[in-house]
Formats: sequence, structure tokens, C-alpha cells
Amino acid sequence: MRWLLPAIALLAVAVGLAGAAPDLLWSLRLPRVLAGFSVGALLALSGLAMQVLLRNPLADPYVLGTSGGAAVGSILALLLGGLMWLGAALGALGAGLVLLWLANGRFWAHAALNAHEDDASARLILAGAMLAAVFGAVSTLLLTLAPDERLRGAIFWLVGDLSGAGDARWAFGLALLLVAYYARRAAAIDRLMLGSETAWLLGEPVRRLRQELLLLACLATATAVSLAGAIGFVGLVVPQMLRMGGVRTTRQLAWMGALGGGALLVLADTLARSVAWPLELPVGAVMSLIGAPLFILFLARAVR
Amino acid sequence: MKVALASTLKTGVPVLQVRALSLRMGARRLIEQLDFEVQAGERWCVIGRNAAGKSSLLRALAGLGPTPQGGAVLLQGDPRALVDGPRAAQLRAYLPQAASDRFDLTVRELLALHRRDAVPSRHATALKRQPGGPGAARATVRGHGGDALQALAASLDIAALLDRPVTQLSGGERQRVGLGAVAAQDTALWLLDEPVSFQDPAHQRSVALWLRAQDRRAVVLSAHDMAWVQQCATHVIALLGDGTWRAGPAAEVLSAQTLYETFGCPWRQVEGQWFTGQ
Repeated sequence: MRWLLPAIALLAVAVGLAGAAPDLLWSLRLPRVLAGFSVGALLALSGLAMQVLLRNPLADPYVLGTSGGAAVGSILALLLGGLMWLGAALGALGAGLVLLWLANGRFWAHAALNAHEDDASARLILAGAMLAAVFGAVSTLLLTLAPDERLRGAIFWLVGDLSGAGDARWAFGLALLLVAYYARRAAAIDRLMLGSETAWLLGEPVRRLRQELLLLACLATATAVSLAGAIGFVGLVVPQMLRMGGVRTTRQLAWMGALGGGALLVLADTLARSVAWPLELPVGAVMSLIGAPLFILFLARAVR
Repeated sequence: MKVALASTLKTGVPVLQVRALSLRMGARRLIEQLDFEVQAGERWCVIGRNAAGKSSLLRALAGLGPTPQGGAVLLQGDPRALVDGPRAAQLRAYLPQAASDRFDLTVRELLALHRRDAVPSRHATALKRQPGGPGAARATVRGHGGDALQALAASLDIAALLDRPVTQLSGGERQRVGLGAVAAQDTALWLLDEPVSFQDPAHQRSVALWLRAQDRRAVVLSAHDMAWVQQCATHVIALLGDGTWRAGPAAEVLSAQTLYETFGCPWRQVEGQWFTGQ
């Protein structure tokens, strides 16, 4: 795993860059591959944070509606002329808080002393799916109200699309920063996976950790969504595959998840670009076609 | 694992002091004005009917909710210790009634995460600088960490499970792994909520003997099987369910009268052991 994943990531980047016309390689293709890689890495890191926060290996920003919240925030910012990234961040944070409230009842209370920390996973997934449905409806409504010339681009973006992604260097930087955060907090986050109470009994600053993870999940989701729209399932599929492959500690899940998520999205985007060439499909649709069946598979395994 | 303990034990101070502790659940009085002290080498067993407040008492002693209505819990004489998460983690370990595992960690990984020296929290780093602090023991544990782990696992009959995912264990196996986690935290006070509820008869006995061998720890636990309580406990706290309680040496508290008051059914003694029925 230690060597396999970097190799896969390099291969994915090579495949992503292959076939570009020489004059477009630096100006168009490389920025797009960088955007895909960064967005994939951020989504995987965000999924990991949500899985720890909710103690549910099936948590994912898209499935549970935080991506949807970020999308609504971005569209509002777009329509009202605000900063898109800020709108996305606020939307993701709002959705994240609602989600934690649904899961825990009282997030801002002393989380460690919450006797009902363990939510039945099915209930949480259902609540998150409803949250996602609400945000999806609000996004669609907002777009029908939007001036027509912006509509087509916005719909593509809503499904998840890398063709319009701007400069992703800062997103790449953020992904690196988050991997470093995970490495620094690895043992404490491992203990948080055992449960808030257990982590507190072992002396971890549970409340602060949970706040940091919530912030991390929202920042990562918001950045990914404002670049490429609501692309789903990366945050779910990548950590889950790693866990099935025997990677269980936070330290490894973080860097391997970032590499794996980046590689997966670059490959999915390459597929989206080339499968119906010269037409381009939105990568979000491709990811959902790959991710949703896998999610059902994981869910079936988890419920048993 | 025993090496580290001596450094954290203050001599002369009881490991746990409970003063005038009152617990309520909604309008129901579970415990009123409970007083007792636990020294190293003592094993106090909490008995009582279902919902009498055994788990609530153990949770309160661990510093978990619900918050007591009144009274104080002192660890090593320190009334503030339970409020300070990192400090409390050095002093007490707690086994919940049931494990709730969500991620597929192996037993080995779970035990490693419970080791007090696994994470250099700020507090532990500060203690490390003191001569004879837990940091002194840290090197020892690290030095033959594998051996210590193997010995611990063997003593609980979980050596064969070390590389299995915790989610795939039976109830009894998971419970013994939980006891291993408590031991790995290496504190002077152990709080065990029904440590043998899932154990087969052979393992009930071996866990009792294992606990009796921990003669430098102070243990507070709960159990329902009076024969097992007699085998394991040095002291008994009987919760009568209306807030009143009896506490003291096992031989004194375990009487036909107190058992009747506690459980509401008649008890008789046959060859020193207590049984329900006429």
C-alpha cells in the first residue's frame, strides 16, 4: 500500500496529462489535472473527518448533504454577487451543524459527556439523505430564478464539473495542510474513532478535536465544491476501500486517502472527457455512476 | 504493566474517596449521601436491582454524565482531578457495560490506543520531566512493550485474538479485550461496569482470579452473581433502589437481611454461598 498508492497517483496524473496538444498542456490540461487531483484529495479528507465526527464509516459530504449546503451557499453568493468560496464555506458549515444536531442532539454541549453519542447509522444516513434532497431542491429553485445566460454553466457545475475549475493551486495547498493536520493529531483522532466518551476517558480534548474536524470537513468540502461543484462519493469510496485493504490508522488513512482521492477523480475526469469525445460529460455524473453502486454495496455489508 | 504503577501511587492517600455523593435520574433518587473510601488492593462490588443506579454510580466515579446532584469524588485526594480530562486519564480507567465498535481496529491496535503512554498529551509531557513520573515508566514499557502486551493478553486469554478485528469478537471475548484496555491504561483505579456479564463460567472464574491478582490497584465494579461477588470482592456497596445504601466489608454487607432489602427476594446461605429462594 505504501508504494502502491503513490504509483497509482502518478499513473493517474500521467493518464490525465496524456494526449493533450503540446500548446494546451501547460495552459489548460495541467491546471485541470491539478484541480481534479486537489478536489479529489479534499473530498477524501473531508469524508474522513465526517466519518470520525459521526463515528460512521459511511459518512460522506455528498451523501449527507454538506456538499449540497455548500452548493446552495455558492449559488446564493453567485446570484447576490458575493464571494463564491465564502458562500460555499458558510453553506457547508450550516449543513454540517444541522447534521451534527440531527446525529447528536446537542453538539455544542460538552460533547464528551453525551450519553447518546451513538446514533443508529441508518437513521443518520437517512437524515443526511433528506438534508441532501432539500439542498438539491433549493439549488434547482435558485437556478430556475437565475438569469438564463448563466443557467447552463450553473447546472453543469451543480452536477460536478472540472471544465470550469479555476486556479487550484491554493486548493492543493489546503489539501497538503490538512494532511499535515491529520498527521499531527493522528493518535487523538484514532481515539476519537473509539467514541467521544472513550477519547475523553483517555484524556483527549474531545470538544476541541470535534470542532477542528468539523471546521476541516467544511473547509475541504467548501473548497472542493466552489472549484468543481458537488461531486459525490469520493469521500466515501476512498477511505472505505483503504479500510477494506487493511489501512485503519488515521495517519495512513489521511495521506493515502488524499492520494487515492486525487487519483480517483483525475481518472474519472479523464473518463468523462474521453468517453463521448468530442463531447465532455460532467465528472460528477461519472463519479455518481461509479460511487452510488459501491455505496449500496458498502451499506449492505455494514447493515448485515 | 505493574512497573509504571508504583510511580503514580501516593502512599497514605486513598485511591478513591467518595463523599456525600447524591445521584438522581429525573425525579428518581438513585443514591443519597453515599460515602466510601477505596484503598489499593481493595475490590468494591456494587450490587442492586436493574436500574438501581449501579451504572450511574460507576459513570459518575469516572467523571461521565449524568452530573451528580451533590457530593465529591476525590482521586488520590484531589477533588479537581475528575474535571481535568488529561489528569483523570492518568488516574482512573473505566470499562463500559457494552462496547460500541464502529471501525475495524484490531485488538492489538485497540490495546495500543488505550496505553497511557501512547499519546504524549501536554500533561503527560509535563509529568515526564518529573523524576519517577509516568515518563520514567514509559521507557520501561516501551523497552519490552511486546512482552508486556503478550503477558497481558495471555493473562486474559485473548492472546489468540490480537490480530482479529474487534468487531468480529464474541461478547465475552470483547469484554476481556475491554479489561485488557483498562489494564493497558495502567491507572491505580479501575471502574468496571459488569466485567463478567458475558463470560462463560470458566472465564468468570479466571477474571475473578485476575482481578484478585491486581493487588496494587483499587477496583470498583458491578455484578449480579452473588457467588462471583463473594469470590472476587473485598467490599460491597448494596444500592437499595430508593436512595439508601449499605457499604462495607463483603462479609458484613452480604447478609440475608441486606440481600432481601436489596433485591426484594428471600436468600439463603448454603456452605457459605448465597442463593435465592427459601
